Amino acid sequence: MREILLAVPVLLPIVGGAGMLVLHLKDGRENKDRSLMLLTEGFVLLNSLVIFWLLRYRMGSHLVLFRLFGNLTVRFKLDPMGGVFAGLIAFLWPLAVLYSFEYMKHERRKKMFFAYYVMTYGVTAGIALAGNLVTMYLCYEMLTLVTFPLVLFPMTREAKRASRRYLYYSIGGAAFAFIGLVFVLSFSATGNTDFVPGGVLNLKEAKAWRNILLLVYVLAFFGFGVKAALFPLHGWLPQAAVAPTPVTALLHAVAVVKSGAFAILRFTYFSYGTEFLEGSWAQWGVMAVTLITILFGSTMAVREIHWKRRLAYSTVSNLSYILFGATMMSSLGLAAALSHLVIHAFMKICSFFCAGAVMHQTGKTQVYELDGLGRSMPVTFGCLTVASFSLMGIPLFGGFISKWNLVQAAFACNKNWLPCAGVAVILYSALMTGIYMLTVLVRAYFPRPEEERVVTDLEKKYKDPGGMMLMPLVIFAVVILFWGLHSSSLMRLLTEIGGEAG
Amino acid sequence: MNIERSLRIPGLCGMGLHFQMDGFRLVYLVIAVMMWSVSGIFSREYMEHYQNRGRYYWFFWVTFLATAGVFLSADFYTTFIFFEIMSFTSYVWVAFDERAESLKAAETYLAVAVIGGMVMLMGLFLLENLCGTLVFERVGELAERVLAEGSKAHRRQLYVAGGLLLFGFGAKAGCFPLHIWLPKAHPVAPAPASALLSGILTKAGIFGIIIVSCHMFCTDRMWGLLLVCLGLITMFLGALLALFSVNLKRTLACSSVSQIGFILIGIGMSCLLRAAGESGRLAVRGAFLHMVNHSLFKLVLFLCAAAVFMNLHQLELNDIRGFGRKKPLLLFCFLMGALGIGGMPFWSGYVSKTLLHESIVEYGRVARQPVFWQMAEWLFLVSGGMTVAYMLKLFVALFVDRHPVRQAEFEAMSANYMRKENGIALVLAAALFPLLGMTASTSMDLLADLGQGFFGPVETRHLVHYFSFGNLKGGLLSIGIGIGLYLFVVRRWMMGVDGKTDDMGGDLGMCYRELWPSWFDLENLWYRPLLQVVLPGISGAICGFVDRYLVSTVVSVFLAVSSVLCRAMDQMADGAIRLARESTHSQLPRVTDGTREKAGKKSVLSAGKRWMGVEKRQLTEKIFQLEERIRRNGRLVEESFSFGLMLFAIGLCLTLGYLLLGFLRHS
Repeated sequence: MREILLAVPVLLPIVGGAGMLVLHLKDGRENKDRSLMLLTEGFVLLNSLVIFWLLRYRMGSHLVLFRLFGNLTVRFKLDPMGGVFAGLIAFLWPLAVLYSFEYMKHERRKKMFFAYYVMTYGVTAGIALAGNLVTMYLCYEMLTLVTFPLVLFPMTREAKRASRRYLYYSIGGAAFAFIGLVFVLSFSATGNTDFVPGGVLNLKEAKAWRNILLLVYVLAFFGFGVKAALFPLHGWLPQAAVAPTPVTALLHAVAVVKSGAFAILRFTYFSYGTEFLEGSWAQWGVMAVTLITILFGSTMAVREIHWKRRLAYSTVSNLSYILFGATMMSSLGLAAALSHLVIHAFMKICSFFCAGAVMHQTGKTQVYELDGLGRSMPVTFGCLTVASFSLMGIPLFGGFISKWNLVQAAFACNKNWLPCAGVAVILYSALMTGIYMLTVLVRAYFPRPEEERVVTDLEKKYKDPGGMMLMPLVIFAVVILFWGLHSSSLMRLLTEIGGEAG
Repeated sequence: MNIERSLRIPGLCGMGLHFQMDGFRLVYLVIAVMMWSVSGIFSREYMEHYQNRGRYYWFFWVTFLATAGVFLSADFYTTFIFFEIMSFTSYVWVAFDERAESLKAAETYLAVAVIGGMVMLMGLFLLENLCGTLVFERVGELAERVLAEGSKAHRRQLYVAGGLLLFGFGAKAGCFPLHIWLPKAHPVAPAPASALLSGILTKAGIFGIIIVSCHMFCTDRMWGLLLVCLGLITMFLGALLALFSVNLKRTLACSSVSQIGFILIGIGMSCLLRAAGESGRLAVRGAFLHMVNHSLFKLVLFLCAAAVFMNLHQLELNDIRGFGRKKPLLLFCFLMGALGIGGMPFWSGYVSKTLLHESIVEYGRVARQPVFWQMAEWLFLVSGGMTVAYMLKLFVALFVDRHPVRQAEFEAMSANYMRKENGIALVLAAALFPLLGMTASTSMDLLADLGQGFFGPVETRHLVHYFSFGNLKGGLLSIGIGIGLYLFVVRRWMMGVDGKTDDMGGDLGMCYRELWPSWFDLENLWYRPLLQVVLPGISGAICGFVDRYLVSTVVSVFLAVSSVLCRAMDQMADGAIRLARESTHSQLPRVTDGTREKAGKKSVLSAGKRWMGVEKRQLTEKIFQLEERIRRNGRLVEESFSFGLMLFAIGLCLTLGYLLLGFLRHS
């Protein structure tokens, strides 16, 4: 029963987080903060170490935790694709927690915040390690519920509206995903919903129901797509930018939205299987929607002047890059989608953290207020520069690699004109990315002449935030550069995954 | 001596980098080193009074590495990577001094660079898809095969890819209609940086065009024609802009555009000549030598401009008139540059221009439309003449004219207007031109031998008599045209007494006039409105509309209808009872006939009043109230979680019902 270790990364944070909620920390404020900090960081770090250990020594193991009913089981399995996602969050979470300590220093109700933050870790790990569709669906629903209090955290009117919207969209989406689950279960060749590379559908039986099944696929795609901010179900994401930056950065740029994209990848490549979907109207339909989302998200980002909302729209468009790769239904497509999933996580969390650092130090939230900050906060903006160039897809930075892979996969997928149109869409979006990211940088590094704006004395005293906020930023920027310069090992791994499942 | 080397770094930056060394690349590397070191020396004095020197130097040297990377690259992927780095790091040069006009020019530069980069990337994608590789030689072979025996779709894809690459590289080279950044960026960038921008960064663009033209479309007539036409327009237009300009650095920038046109013609002619079965040797050698020459001329000329700007902080010809008087060193350097670029025999520019001219004449002999090529030849000669005219204009303004007010002040600067080491570097560079020009048949031929292999297979050299009568005639004709243009157009038309006075009230006398209509500017007339108003206007409006109305309209209509329905259903029973009580089951006490009559009269009266619109105001008020109530209820309903869930459940039921229907119909 050594496989029970597989459930640890899921259960430890959930139990730990729940424990933190009921915990009483009595001492003075300073002490309370410190013990909270140690506790949270301890949980998260321990959990990450467990995940890394599992990745190293327990690849391929699986565990049936318990049986819900009949052939519905909660099952965890560590396969390479889940491993990539698990490794990603295990790397990001401790750094994000570190950042949030400094960011949240002056907030109240910290205990609640960190408790849910830690619980989200466990649930996301659950999605990464889920071994069948039922488990993934379970974690997917739980993810909505544990992140809901985090969006609600500021407790302003705006936050309430945003969180309510988030709840509607997510629960609604999950219900459609549920339809998919039911159908996969009833058409499964194995009688259960375990993830198998290449899909589990009984193709002979499925053929008779082809159109219904394709319709169900589209429904489930949109259902999971809610979390991946697929147009027209993207509405909750820009609105959720009211949440504290650690939440928008880690949850709404990485964990939650990537869970949506990851779920779609799992559902497409490991449940339905590409053989059934390839060349069908459903494939081209969802691909068209992803392309529209890319166009829409990047154009809206240019229109938006609130910095974090602009980044949120950028996330909308970038998530659809991943989905675009997913809808190619090919091994190259899967590899490209995963590469963008990984690399985009780093660049988006880095840009969000930079925006958060500026908000924290100066209180500025709008793009037009950033004049000259590049000079007073050099490290922050240095990291932002790296992230922006990477998002644009400039060579030397990670984003270029994943975009290049996506385009290669699109050209290889030549049964229709849509993938080729997708290349043009990606380039258009890269241009738009150039506009919306570079305007920020240009403002920051080359301010308008002082006559044209008000310069207060306060303005001259801004400086970089403290080490706990800077360290994650710098690490992310270095990782982006690393992926840009040396991506062959990552790509080899992802191509293997793609080759197996595509 | 064999200098061909190649270096691969697999895995770096995704697909791995691939470098190569050959004669052409060696020459350009040497030129790059020379240009960066000379302008680096110059920058020390030029930059002395600027605050952000550290930033300038950092980007200065990073750009050097990137440019070297472009010239050494052996596949398009590597070229693209270094090209993009070069574009972004050189952006900082343009925006360097952070004045409003610098920022605007930098914006233009960045826009051209980003759009050019994206378009180039699209071309690379198509090419990679077609050929499966991006290594120059392989691409060349495969492209040749596609052009010869490929299907129509493949040929079209190749042309589209080539066109996109041409767009991307042409944007950096300053080829019409993407030359807009040059005249804007040069006057505002620090002068040593302008020298590099114009001298070598544009050549990085030309490098790409050479690869596309001489490797992929080596023997393609249409491609050659396209390049020659673009080259002719660029050449003439640039010269025209330069002639009209009254700003020292702007003139030099426009002159760069024009000279790039000359080079493009050379590259285009080589394709045409090869397509016609000739060797294309003259065109290739001419284009290469003109590239080298132009890099060096612009180095010297821009650094002369730097010397002027360092002392006066002005660049308008009217303000700097006479600055060069009694400064023999500056005079020597500027004169060498001017004579070289003007194509004076025995200076190096003459050699390359003669070769280009010869190649047009050669093709004119075998071409099907000799008239067109005769016209092209004349356009070439006239543009050469215009080069002479605008250089003469600058020279006369700087060294012959006198400043009506500040002449004495200018002459007092003669002793220390430039540091010694700058002077030495500049003189050494300037002395190259006559040296190279006079020993053309050895030194320049040697350079051309080194470089020509890069342009595809060319037979080995045979002697060209640069100083034969026929060739001298062409050169002198051009110079004659130039002097004529200067005397009759520049002096007569572009200069005049405007009666302007300076700040002190001194009379400024004969002035250079700004005659180019300021509204006539491709960028402000077309590009900016298109990119800043039309495109974002349309796409932004569509997206904004969709975002604001499409989703929310559907939701609100649904909410409104359903809330009315729910309300009606909710009150159905109540309503029936109330209706009954008021009509059939009315329990009002019975009234006598008289009063009843009265009451009836009253009610008729009030009904009439209502109809007549007396109570209209009240009615509208009521409607408003009703609407307000509905809206308030609607919002309340909209915000309540249970209602949301109910709606969602309805939707879910509908979907499940549909699926069930599908099931039933199937089974």
